Amino acid sequence: MTRQERRHMRNGLLFASPFLFGFGAFFLYPLVASVYYSFCHYNVIQPPMWIGLENFRELFTRDAVFWKSLYNTLYYTVFSVPLGLAVSIGLALLLNQKVRGMAAYRTVFFLPTIVPMVASAVLWLWVLNPESGLLNETLRQFLRVDGPGWLADEHWAKPSLILMSLWATGGAMVIFLAGLADVPASLYEVAAIDGAGRWAKFRNITLPMLTPTILFNLVMGLIGAFQYFTQVYVMTGGKGGPVDSTMFYALYLYRNSFHYLRMGYASAMAWMLFLLILAATVAVLVSSRRWVYYHGD
Amino acid sequence: MQRWIRWILAGACGLLVYALIWPRSATSDAEREARKQGRTVIVYWDRHSGHEHEARRALIHEFNTSQDKVYVRALPIGYNSLMEKLLTSIAGSAPPDVCAIDGGIMAQLVAQGCFATLESFMAGCPSLREERFFPHIWKTVAFDGHVWGIPTTTDTYCLLWNKRAFRKAGLDPDRPPRTLAELEEYAARLTIKDESGIRQIGFLPWQPWDLSHMWGLLFGGTWYDESTGLAVCAGDPNLIRMFAWQRSFAIDPTSDTHPPFALDPEKVMSFQQGFGAYMSANNPFYSGKIAMITEGEWQVTFIPKYAPDLDWGVAAIPTPDGASPRAYGPTCIADCIPAGCRHPEAAWAYLEWFNSPRPDGRPSPASDYNYAIHNIPVRTDEARQARFIGDPRFRPFVDVLFERETVSAPVTPVTQFFMDEIERQRERVIYRKTSPEQALREIQNTVNDHLQLGRALAARTTP
Repeated sequence: MTRQERRHMRNGLLFASPFLFGFGAFFLYPLVASVYYSFCHYNVIQPPMWIGLENFRELFTRDAVFWKSLYNTLYYTVFSVPLGLAVSIGLALLLNQKVRGMAAYRTVFFLPTIVPMVASAVLWLWVLNPESGLLNETLRQFLRVDGPGWLADEHWAKPSLILMSLWATGGAMVIFLAGLADVPASLYEVAAIDGAGRWAKFRNITLPMLTPTILFNLVMGLIGAFQYFTQVYVMTGGKGGPVDSTMFYALYLYRNSFHYLRMGYASAMAWMLFLLILAATVAVLVSSRRWVYYHGD
Repeated sequence: MQRWIRWILAGACGLLVYALIWPRSATSDAEREARKQGRTVIVYWDRHSGHEHEARRALIHEFNTSQDKVYVRALPIGYNSLMEKLLTSIAGSAPPDVCAIDGGIMAQLVAQGCFATLESFMAGCPSLREERFFPHIWKTVAFDGHVWGIPTTTDTYCLLWNKRAFRKAGLDPDRPPRTLAELEEYAARLTIKDESGIRQIGFLPWQPWDLSHMWGLLFGGTWYDESTGLAVCAGDPNLIRMFAWQRSFAIDPTSDTHPPFALDPEKVMSFQQGFGAYMSANNPFYSGKIAMITEGEWQVTFIPKYAPDLDWGVAAIPTPDGASPRAYGPTCIADCIPAGCRHPEAAWAYLEWFNSPRPDGRPSPASDYNYAIHNIPVRTDEARQARFIGDPRFRPFVDVLFERETVSAPVTPVTQFFMDEIERQRERVIYRKTSPEQALREIQNTVNDHLQLGRALAARTTP
């Protein structure tokens, strides 16, 4: 290394040092420590005590709420992610038309995404109120049907949250809009000459060209859904009711760590969640070779 | 353009510098003055907020001006996530000097080594002798051979009723129900439903929050055995009866007949979502959405503050048939000195002052504090002071503690989990996911699992 290179190296490290320090102290160290804690009994104040695989054994063999929370989380993920993708693609297609005032429409549909999660959760509590909420009132006035109990009903509580998650698809929608802008117009022209209709164009051009964007949003959606926490914490008072129907994985993890001070147990839960997300992501990425089309290829 | 950028950068730098020096300037003038005089400044974390914290602050001001050695800074931490905040502060070696804690989570925190022991300080203080306190309160703070906190306030529950609702239902507004059968009958008459749902709830055992632990004890049940330190609720006939009684307030969707006071639990939940904040005029009892409710003595200050026009009465909770009359003292709030606190002597000086009668013969600041927020004093002689029992609405709360056997929450390192588990299983019983018998078995198994795990770990640390 020449003198100049050394100087560049030093300056580079110096400029990167705030990141390196922050990354090491607030991310890497806690990450590694939590692996160790997952094999320990640990309550923050006293030194961690090694108990081997006991936390994992308890999770899998004795903790019924753990399995319930896993089921709830998988249920939410399986329905909310594909539904969210479909809705955001639909919205992106609608907002990709050449209509006057499109910028305003796009802004309106993006707005819910930037409303703080807690505020929107409180708002939805009112929308979903079975007695006087906007949703049931509308059903009553226009369709003459009594809506379900939504969050008050154990069978409707999860569907309510899935419905609510669609409200904030603005982020994915914007990415799809960018993806749509990337589809070469020439392909549509060629298809038009061959006599393709709207559906044929969407099915054979738009959708394949969007697959890289779908892959990205799918992976991000999966990660977000597995870690679902804030809204349900606000909307059920952190209790996961009624009858554990909204006890999500992250909520149960939080209760174990901060209500019962079982940091070791919670670390074990966190690592199980990490492995689950990792497995789901790898599965999606492996399968993506068959369905994602990069038009540079 | 470049000039603008320079201005913005300069502004940002200025803000940064201000942020660095701000913590010093954020202290009050009085505190800066106290530091200049060389007084020890200690920090007090108050578990109360709102008007309850203001009452504490006024007394702390009195302490600060009454002597020139210690200055107390009070912070309203509130009870939400108090445990997390306390733990992180102790782990980070920056705990407050005194912290107010709910008796219910005390043993859990003691088991983690969160608090200093207080008996060495207490020796010379007559106001803090064990026999001065309600026995059930003292048990909450003194265990494992040590005293971990000084109780300051306690609570109990009574039955509150809305007299206007009684009149509307054709009931005598001055005669509360005296037996559970009467309570059920009144509940049926006070419940108002129409095609759009519930308009008024007569009575629900799980309002304003889950009280299964209390109801179980009032039914004569036993949740926990102190001698073995284990949960013993499985198969207890009184607890089974209690869960079955609570379940009778929820309509069984598979049955055509149900008691006239029963409601659809889902409808109750949706009705509940229209309730306003607890500490506000929209509290469901104040706004007439619930006609009878089991509530604590703090309502004697809350109601005049938030619902001055409410016409209400208070009486002891009816005793279930066959059970001996019991009162429920859920817990107390205690002031503790966290482990690693920097000024334990100064912290103690404040605690001793707060709990002792004033030199001029006036009652202790603790008694004044209880009076200001209408909680029950923890010392029996203070609870009997005329200002407490002279108030006809406060008196029933004090009376039950003296006239009945008082029972309270178990002192265990897993009490929070225990209570959460009871609530979870109660909900399952109400929704008919499980039977009372099965629910009690599950509570016993999971709670004992946790208790035994804790013991096994403790045995490993103390060879």
